Order: sequence, then C-alpha cells, then structure tokens
Amino acid sequence: MDPAYFFQQLVNGLTLGSLFALIAVGYTVVYGIIQLINFAHGEIFMVGAFGALGTWIILGRAEITAWWMLPVMLVGAVGVSVLTALLMERFAYRPLRRAPRLAPLITAIGISVFLQEFVRLFYGPIPNGLQRLVFGDDIPFEFPDAKAAPRFPSIEGVSGGSFVIGGVTLQYAAIFTVVALVLCWIGLYFFVNRTRVGRAMQATAQDPDTARLMGIDVDRIIMVAFAVGAALAAVAGIAHGLQYTNIEFRMGFLAGLKAFTAAVLGGIGNINGAVVGGLVLGLVEVMATAFIPGTFGGSAWKDVWAFALLILVLVFRPQGLLGARVVDRA
Amino acid sequence: MRRPQIVTDERRRRHGGTGWLVALVGAVVLVGAPYLPWAYGDEAMDDMTYLGGPSPTQFLGLALGAALLVCLLAARFLVPRLPAARRRWFAWHTGASAVATGALAFQAVVVVAVALELGGLVNVEYGGWIALAGALLAFAGTRLLVPERTATLGRVHSPGWLVIVVIAVVMLGSLLLIAHALDEDDPGVFIALLVFVGAAVVLVLRVGLGGWFSSQTARFRPVLVMAAFLVAFAFPFTQDGSNANMSIATQVLIFAATALGLNIVVGLAGLLDLGYIAFLGAGAFVAAILSGSAFSAVGWNPPFIVTVLISGVVASVLGLIIGSPTLRVSGDYLAIVTLAFGEIFRLVMINLDGNDGPDLTNGSNGIPNIPDLNLLGFDFGEPHVILGVEIPRFANYYFLLLVLIGLVIVVFANLNRSRIGRGWVAIREDEKAAEAMGVNVFGLKLFAFAGGAFLAGVAGAVKAHHDISVTPDQYVFLESAFLLAAVVLGGMGTILGVLVGATLLRLMPEKLRFFDEYRLLAFGLLLVVMMRFRPEGLIASRRRQLEFHEDDEELAAHTGETPPGAGRVEPEGAR
Repeated sequence: MDPAYFFQQLVNGLTLGSLFALIAVGYTVVYGIIQLINFAHGEIFMVGAFGALGTWIILGRAEITAWWMLPVMLVGAVGVSVLTALLMERFAYRPLRRAPRLAPLITAIGISVFLQEFVRLFYGPIPNGLQRLVFGDDIPFEFPDAKAAPRFPSIEGVSGGSFVIGGVTLQYAAIFTVVALVLCWIGLYFFVNRTRVGRAMQATAQDPDTARLMGIDVDRIIMVAFAVGAALAAVAGIAHGLQYTNIEFRMGFLAGLKAFTAAVLGGIGNINGAVVGGLVLGLVEVMATAFIPGTFGGSAWKDVWAFALLILVLVFRPQGLLGARVVDRA
Repeated sequence: MRRPQIVTDERRRRHGGTGWLVALVGAVVLVGAPYLPWAYGDEAMDDMTYLGGPSPTQFLGLALGAALLVCLLAARFLVPRLPAARRRWFAWHTGASAVATGALAFQAVVVVAVALELGGLVNVEYGGWIALAGALLAFAGTRLLVPERTATLGRVHSPGWLVIVVIAVVMLGSLLLIAHALDEDDPGVFIALLVFVGAAVVLVLRVGLGGWFSSQTARFRPVLVMAAFLVAFAFPFTQDGSNANMSIATQVLIFAATALGLNIVVGLAGLLDLGYIAFLGAGAFVAAILSGSAFSAVGWNPPFIVTVLISGVVASVLGLIIGSPTLRVSGDYLAIVTLAFGEIFRLVMINLDGNDGPDLTNGSNGIPNIPDLNLLGFDFGEPHVILGVEIPRFANYYFLLLVLIGLVIVVFANLNRSRIGRGWVAIREDEKAAEAMGVNVFGLKLFAFAGGAFLAGVAGAVKAHHDISVTPDQYVFLESAFLLAAVVLGGMGTILGVLVGATLLRLMPEKLRFFDEYRLLAFGLLLVVMMRFRPEGLIASRRRQLEFHEDDEELAAHTGETPPGAGRVEPEGAR
C-alpha cells in the first residue's frame, strides 16, 4: 500500500474528526450538567454556518474576501448560534426539566424540524425572507436561497489553497479546522478549570443541589453550558463551510448524529472524551470508506458503518472509551 | 411549577354575578351577530355578506352562542328549582367557560381567515368585529364564574334504549359530519368547522354529558364499537363513487394502523422507537418484491395471504434485531439506537441496487408497477357496484384497511388488558421494580418490538399495493417523527387518541394546501408546544396524565388514583 495514500487518509480523517469533535463538545457539556441529550444540537451547527454566511453578506456587499472577514464572520456565527441555543433552552427545555425523559427528546425532534424549516423558508431572496421583514422592500442586500445549498464565501488564504508535503495534500481549510479545534480545546480547558464560571459548571455537574446550596445560580450555569456548546458548533459551521464550499439547511441532522456518536464514543459528559471520540470517529469513517474492499466499501456505505458504530458503542460501551462516568439511562 | 393566577377563587366569589351578566351580554351578541354581514367579499369562506341571512359557518357561531346562553340561563334559573339531588347533575359554569373559549377561538379563526382570503383585516365587516367582541365579553365574563367541582350525571342510571339511541345518533352525526367536512374545499371553513367540533366536544364533556356517556356506554361497549365500525364501513357509500376523498381516507387508515402499532411500543411499553417507519418499509418492500412486478428481483409471486404473513414476519424479525439492544440500553440511548437502525434500513434499501451491493430493491428508484391486489377473484383495481353505489379503487383498499385496523385494535385492546399489558406498564413505570416482582422484562420488551413491527409490516404490505410503487425515500426519519407525533398528539397508550392524532396529522395537510409550505414548520412547533402544555395528548389515558403531572394533587384526587411516586399523606385523624 502506498504510504502517501494512507497518510492522506489519516489527514482527511483527522480533519473530519475535528469537525465532529467541535460539535460533540456541545452534546457533552450540556449532558454533563443536566443529563439532557440536546438532540437539536446539530441544527445549531447548521444555524451557525448560515449565520456566518449572513454576516458576510450584510457586511460584505463588495464581496470582501480578505482574511479579516473571518473573525467578523466568526462573531456573527457565534452570535446567531448562541442566541438560538439560549432561546431553545429557555422556552423549550427549561419548562420540561422535571418532566419524564420522553418529553425533552420529543421536544428536541420538534426543535430540530422547526429550525431546519425556519432556515429553509425564511433564509433567501423570497418575498417573506428575513431581510425583507426587517428592511421592507428597499433591501440593501439579498440572502442566497437556503433551498439551493448556497455557496459559502471564500476567504483569501483559507479557502481553496493547499500545499503538498511528501505526496500528502494539506488544504488550508483543513488546517483551519484542526487549528480551530486545538484553540477551542485549550480555551475550553482554561475556561472550565481556571474561571469562576467554569468551576461552578464543574460543581453543578457533580451535584446540582449542593451547588445551588453553595450559591451557584444553576439556571445560569445551564445557559452557559448551552452557550459554550453553541459557540463551538458555530466554529464548526464555519469550518464546514470553508471546507465543503456549500452549506445546506439539512446538514445539521447527519452531522449532529455523528457528533453525538463521537460524544458517546468518548464518554458523554467528558469534554476531553468528546474531542478524542470525534477524532476516532472521523478516522474510522474515512478509513472505512478508503480501505473496506468489495461492494460494501466506498462512500455509498460509509454512513451505514457510522450508524453501525453508533449502535455498537451505545450497546456495548455506553460509558465510552475514556469511561468518565457510569451511565444509567433509565 | 405554579402558574400565576389572575382570577383567584376569592375574586370569583366576589364578582361571579358581574361575570354572569357580562357573559350573558356576550352570548346574546354571539347569537345576534350572525345575522349581520361578516365580510365585504363573497369569496371569503362561504359568503358571509348578507344582512339577516346567516351562512352555514355563521350558523355554527350562532350555535356556540346559543349553547353558552343555555348554560348561563340554566345555571341561574334552572338549578335552584331542581330537587337537591339533581342540582349537581350538570356542571353548567364549567361548560359555559369551555364553550366561551371555543367561541373566542372560532371567531378569531373567522376573522383571520377572512383577512387572509380577501387580503387584509379591512375586509372584515362590522358584524365580524361585533361577533369577536361578543366572544371576548363571553370569554372574560365566564372566567369569573365559580366552576362546579364535578358533574354527577355519570352516576345516574339510564334505561338501555336511551343509551343505544344516543349511540346511534352520535354515530350517524359523526358520519354526516365527516362526509361534510371532507367535501369542504375552503380552508377557512374547514378550520372553523374543526374548531366548532372541538368546542362542541369539550362542552359536552365539561357539562357532564361526557361522564354520563362514558359510564353508560361502558355497559354497551360492544354496541358502541360495532356502531363505530358500521359508520366507518358506511363512509364510502356517501362518496358517490368518487376516488378523491377515499384516497385521503386510505392514507389516513394506513397511517393510523402503523401509528397504533407504534403505540404498542411507545404507549404501552414506554420504549421510544424513532425508527419505526423501517418496519412499514420492510413490509412494503417484501410485498413489492413478491408482487410479481417487472422490476422485482425475485420471480416468486405467492398469494397475498402468504405475502402478508412473510411481510409481517420479516418486519418482526427486524423488530427483534432492533429490540435486542433493549437488554442493555434504555431511555434516550435506545431512542437513538432505533433511529440509527431506521437510517441503516433506508441506506441499505438504497444501496441494494445491484451496483453498490446485491440487487434486491432496485436502489433509490424503488419498485414501481406493483399490480393491484386480487383476493379470491375480487380485483381491487376495478370499481365495483354494491347496493347501487359505485365503489372505486381506493374504496376497495379502504375496506381492506378497515378490516386490518379492526384487527390491530383487537390485538391492542386485548394486549393492554392482559398480563402482558400490565407487565409493560410495570416496566414503563419502574423497570427495576418490575424485574424484582418477577416480570420478564427483556422478553416483554422484545415482544413489544416484534408485535408492533408485525402490525407495521402487515400494513406495509397493503401500502405497497395501494401506492403501486415503493421507494426508499418514503421511509425517512421524518416519517418516523410523524408517526411518533400522531401517538403523542392523540395520547400515548389510547386507541381513540391515536386514531384522532393520525387523522388530524394526515387530513390537515390534504385540506390545507395553501399551508403546504409551512406544514413542517408548524409540525415542529406543534411537537414543542404539545410537550410543554399537554404532554399526555389530546385524549389522555388517566395513568399517563398522572405520570406527566406528578405534583398535581387536584388531578390525582379527581381521577381517584395516586400519582406514581407521590407519597401518600394520610390525614392526621386517620391513624
């Protein structure tokens, strides 16, 4: 076997895995605190990507492609994602905190469908598009139609470009994704371990009732958890847009499901686990696509193998690879 | 969680008289307003432009007003004259509140529909505004009435003939209503009619007749069920050989049969299955492959009875496979495992196209040209004439599906009342306790999956012939979500609830075509709102209602059961 081919797959796997990891952190952080599987988290990732595109269009009427647009878009994406997540927490999940387990899960499906449809219907040049609601007929800019998988803006120095080392192609967008994951991971580590809010999060995760007695505002901590997850999902949304050039309103479902697999794989509730799980899942998916021979290999079956892995992990190792906490999901 | 109360009992006692008067004025306005024009254009709803000549929709508004008037007058003038034993037969104030709420919703729908259909609120004429104001008055006034605790009519014993006559009248009325509603093309009128029916049903239940009906018909349950089926069988004869409504009706029945199967898994055993559509798909694909279609990869074409059984068995084997992880996972994880299975099913069906895998399902194009059923020489594809009425193609399938759904209901009801059903309830409420009590937890869970899957497989076999073609993209996750929504909307664990939920979810999109674009948006919102405000569904089983409202002691006292998990607090003197 050609080693360059293997290393190329390794790089592709790590890139894909970084994307999964960024989303997976959102599942894990929320689960760690209120034992809720926020099934609609994949849609936050999707909303983030569309938020970034929207920011670019609003600010970039002259089609700006300079590098400094990237942080601006990041702010826009994070803002939209975090706002969506907070609204979702406040109006859909919080009232159900003491309800039977079935209720939040069904709510999550509802939110998921709602957000997808919301973007599909109201994001675009259609008469009732969001921008027309705000600006009336005299719109200064026009969103591309979300139904037609709009192109993500290309940013100079990040989109498209690549260099080759020893036969392995490294795309700038892929490097951006991996670097973003590393930075987010480091940032999250300091946030959780070195700040008051982070330590309050840890305390709440260990024992919400005692944390409340110690003067921690548990409701606020839960909102922080949702916001942190949403911010990372927004970063993932941008990374996805840069890498695959087109974004789609349906992309949150599959990405969310795979990121959830990653979170469980690493041990749900464990932030490091989510990162490790994401990377492992990305590697497995890419390697399976590349190396499973015969008719059952190839991209037609890759989602089947990802789902099969999800089932196997949930059934045989629900505590995950790092096994941070024993999960009893009754 | 306690909600802030604007109208307290104290205020009610003080201002009850004023409230009655305000509500009375509102009711009189509601009765009078239909004689005024409601809209400027005759295209809105069913022509409400005349002075002195109410349209059918306006008559519905009048009926609500009249019902409110009856409730209010009866509460003030009839009740004090009755002997003490009969004073609490009816809950007139509770009924008045319910019907006033319904009237408000009705008038709001009318105003919005006129505005939408004619383009703007300016098209609502003064009568429409007066009616809305009357409804607002009635609504506000009835909030101040002191509601009766319970209606005691349910304890009154009535002669058998009366009960049977009432059953017959109710059934006949619902047949006419369904036939009429399905013929209604105007979306505004259709929704107004739905709201009216909802208001009428709630009024009847609240005022005390519901208690009477359920306690009296309990004696005549077989009569009730037979009457319901007779009505369902009579439905095609009201359609004059037209296929249009029958096609909707068959879709509703297929959906309802599948949802009932899911209800066994979710409603009875409490196992959330998000991949249930895969069983319907498995049944449909098996039937399609064995149908003798030119696109089928298998030449064998057995009689339909055999095909149905094979479909059911294949689906239930899949059910066993999907159910087997329940030994180790439960709750949210189980839901996601089933979701993953459902997606794997769809992807495999797409991939078995002879290119990415063995050829079995013709890939994403699916299997078209499935021949119509032919049972014992009865060709389902041809129209037949029965009793002088032409029975078109879809009506043939309708009868078959009705038999199927009857079968599902019999299975469901018997399982629910059996040792197995009680085992499921025990597992749902506390798995560990159930196991300790000797319930075969794993076996019963597997049985729930296999049984539910069998029913869906059988429904899928009929669906394949009904739809003529089977493709993998009919069996996406969203369809599973729809099935789940039917169960949740109607009421988990109840037969009637799921039938109502399935009917609403399949009928609404057909009738509200203009709404098509926003259908899924509304669907997502509906799930969230239902879970927030009425998680037990429209027609709740008592036990479920208690599970979802554990801390609501009033409800527990009302239904005479103790909420699970709530500690029994004995009064001091009882010890």
